[in-house]
Amino acid sequence: MTRPIPILFAVVGWLAAATAIRADVSFAEVVRKTNPKIVKVYGAGGFRGITAYCSGVLISPDGYILTVYSPTLDTRELRVHLYDGTRHACELVAAEPQLDVALIRIKDRERFKDLPLEHFDLSQPPPEMKVGDWVLAFSNLFEIATRDEPVSVQRGVISAITPFAGRRGIHEAAYRGKAIIVDAITNNPGAHGGALTTRKGELIGIIGKELKNALSETWVNYAMPITELRDFALRAMRGDYKPLDRPETRQVVDKKPYHGLVLVPDILDRTPPYVEEVIPGSPAARAGLRPDDLIVFIRAPRPDSPGELEERVIASCKAFKETLAGLDPGMTIKVIVRRGGQLLSLDLTLEPPPPAATK
Amino acid sequence: MKAWTFATLSATVLLTALAARTGAVPPVIAEAEARRLAAIEKVRGSVVAIFGRGGGGGGSGVLISPDGYALTNFHVVQPAGKFMKCGLADGVLYDAVLVGLDPVGDVALIKLLPQEPNKPFPFAAMGDSDKVRIGDWVLAMGNPFLLATDFTPTITYGLVSGVNRYQYPAGTILEYTDCIQIDASINPGNSGGPLFNLDGEIIGINGRGSFEKRGRVNSGVGYAISINQIKNFLGHLKGGLLVDHATLGAVVRTDEEGRLVVRQILESSDAHRRGLDVDDELVSFAGRPMTSVNQFKNVLGIYPKGWRLPLVYRRTDEERNTTTTHQVLVRLLGVGVDRQLEERQPRPIPGQPPEPPQPGQPRRPPGQPPTPPEDAEDKPEEKAPSPAAKFYEEKKGFANYYFNRLERDRLMAEVKKLGDFSGVGEAWRIEGERVQPVKDAFAAVVRQGQVRLTLGEQEYALEPLKPGESLTNLREPRDSGGLMAALYVWRRFLEKGPEGFEIDFHYGGYEPFYSDGTAPSRVDCEVLVAEHGPFYAKWYFRRTDGQLIGMETYTEKDHDPCEITFSDYRDVDGRKLPHRLEVRHAGKDFGIFVIKSHDLKTASDSKEKQP
Repeated sequence: MTRPIPILFAVVGWLAAATAIRADVSFAEVVRKTNPKIVKVYGAGGFRGITAYCSGVLISPDGYILTVYSPTLDTRELRVHLYDGTRHACELVAAEPQLDVALIRIKDRERFKDLPLEHFDLSQPPPEMKVGDWVLAFSNLFEIATRDEPVSVQRGVISAITPFAGRRGIHEAAYRGKAIIVDAITNNPGAHGGALTTRKGELIGIIGKELKNALSETWVNYAMPITELRDFALRAMRGDYKPLDRPETRQVVDKKPYHGLVLVPDILDRTPPYVEEVIPGSPAARAGLRPDDLIVFIRAPRPDSPGELEERVIASCKAFKETLAGLDPGMTIKVIVRRGGQLLSLDLTLEPPPPAATK
Repeated sequence: MKAWTFATLSATVLLTALAARTGAVPPVIAEAEARRLAAIEKVRGSVVAIFGRGGGGGGSGVLISPDGYALTNFHVVQPAGKFMKCGLADGVLYDAVLVGLDPVGDVALIKLLPQEPNKPFPFAAMGDSDKVRIGDWVLAMGNPFLLATDFTPTITYGLVSGVNRYQYPAGTILEYTDCIQIDASINPGNSGGPLFNLDGEIIGINGRGSFEKRGRVNSGVGYAISINQIKNFLGHLKGGLLVDHATLGAVVRTDEEGRLVVRQILESSDAHRRGLDVDDELVSFAGRPMTSVNQFKNVLGIYPKGWRLPLVYRRTDEERNTTTTHQVLVRLLGVGVDRQLEERQPRPIPGQPPEPPQPGQPRRPPGQPPTPPEDAEDKPEEKAPSPAAKFYEEKKGFANYYFNRLERDRLMAEVKKLGDFSGVGEAWRIEGERVQPVKDAFAAVVRQGQVRLTLGEQEYALEPLKPGESLTNLREPRDSGGLMAALYVWRRFLEKGPEGFEIDFHYGGYEPFYSDGTAPSRVDCEVLVAEHGPFYAKWYFRRTDGQLIGMETYTEKDHDPCEITFSDYRDVDGRKLPHRLEVRHAGKDFGIFVIKSHDLKTASDSKEKQP
């Protein structure tokens, strides 16, 4: 062969490569290939902010699905809708609450013997990722897709890969590992269990629950890196996963302080905290509180420096409950009430709950 | 600004070479940016910032024609009222008038008035939203949070997250069907603005988002009404109509095997008359496979009421163990929200935020007291009528009757091209033969108050307006659906035009017509709708050339009409008349008629012949 031909091939090859990675090129092809690996999960829930649906990713050709551990999975009626619209009953195989993940599987796996499912292969080492990389998020957020409709895809950039302490309401989140923080609004209702992939569709993380940053109280869009979850997933598929030891600090101790006050029924957004009843012999009775007192302020030790007292306005029954929930038995607090036309300051010493009052 | 039009191979080579030498931005990035900038530059001038005249409402829109037609959301114009102020990227504020409304689909058409007569507006072309794929890049433009006081659009960039999405009515009748889901940021104020592909074609109108804990700001999920849906309604919108959506008249559900089956059906529906019944399985509808209830609702949602569309259904006879597949054309019923629609006519909402600043507006001279506030709040519309007021005409059932008259007159001009029928003689004689399905001699005499018809041995006569005339007589000859009535109405239409239809005569927007009664023979048409005496009729004009290609005559609204397809137009004494009539009724051919002669001698004709 003469020389020009290899050069020509080289140029053509280079041009082809150049066009293949055009930055404005549609993700349609990657999305088309990735979507069959995502499932819609349906289970328990549908009340108190717990969705009865979430997302999951297929990690085996015979129907093992990695998803987020949530109350949604806590049902015998667990089922998934695959990409082609077929519905399958599922069961929980293993869960690791500390990693916030669970492995579920399609019960009838025989049917996939001849028709293996598209899936992410976790036996391969996870792809590289770094801050600034583009990512795609696949999930059934807001349950927009049903049956054979493809799940939603979003695009973002990795903002940070960092340890993450999240919370939901007053509960701290179980997951304490690294998180991939993204700049797209990925963590919406039902998105948990979805896939975060590279721009080529390689799995790098599982989209987590809706959580707030425990420090800044802002909603966080994040995924748990597959590097953190892979060991769980592979072991759980083999059937030899043993749950992690739980640290002592996570033991829930009922240390709710007892005061003996019954407020009026909390029926409004801001129900005024009137005392309805004082249980005889209770700390509140000893403090001199009476029915029809309106609680106005509470002066209590500061959580961060218990030696100092802090005055809080108690504008509602809810505020009263929240303030009391943060206090410990044994503390003495000042309760300022309005009785008739007067403001009275009363000393209330909180006690551990008596056995009869634990309901 | 760099003027890269679009990325060609040579540009790639050039950019790669440049980047290699200078170590600048990687060529793929530069090229993508160039393409994006080019698309934005091409269309940003077409984006409209919409404000109510009294300060009510506010949102976005997009110009789709040089004469100022712009699309937006119904929920944007509803608080703004019938007249609005529209800012363009040139910084100029224009007056605009409401043209058409689709409250269910959340679409409105408005028209901007040029500052100089006939000066063309910048506009964007409409793309094909059926070609949009999940993962495609998109550009959303508009005026989120009404930020831009100079009216330059805000541009957000993102991906198509989903297509063919169905979103339930959100506490209202607004239903988003077959819509495009995007992750480009859509916020309050973006409503009504365009969604573009990277070629700068409109693929949707942004109008809705899934919000939850974050309040009314974007949470990564926005929805755009697909432009292909809007194209189906565009004729209705341009015609100043208050558009109603369609229903099949059947309730469907998915069974255990994932099939979509009919659970209930209205006996008065056309689908039922075409044979559809409970337990039948829907296979495809309007050419789309039916795999879920959402997809069924998607198809229904993108068509106006009255459209006729192909439906394929399957019926299983378990006793005989047979399955038969049926293909039919079905007329869609209205959703029947007409009354609700009336109530939803836009009215300005008082006490809204003040009108946005207007460039060039005279400032109050220093020292002069401000206008008393009660003056400013006192019904601004009545105080100073909008310059657009002369383009508004109120009529029940219409968003703006002015535009309906405009479109009606445009189609009537097509009728005029066929010739002047105003002075036709007392009797119009038609002679020819029926060639299919059986050969028969055919003759008809159409008078103003009487029609006689001969078909083979049979003779028929009808006095169309005779009080108490039975429906059976009105529908003679049998199985024609009322051919004599149709001929009577046809003559009246040609001879008298709008004046001949005392109950109603209006432009009805776009509708498909099936010239041989089968789905593949679909011709996209515009229609005129008319009512006279007991008759309700539609005339179909081919959109490509305005030719009158068919008509339907109903003797009763929920009954199958007599359909006639006109072709083989030939000159008859200076007037053009069809010489081939195909007559159908209830999904069956009544006959193909070849006309040998039309004779409509007139007084004026005879005068011309005797100079």
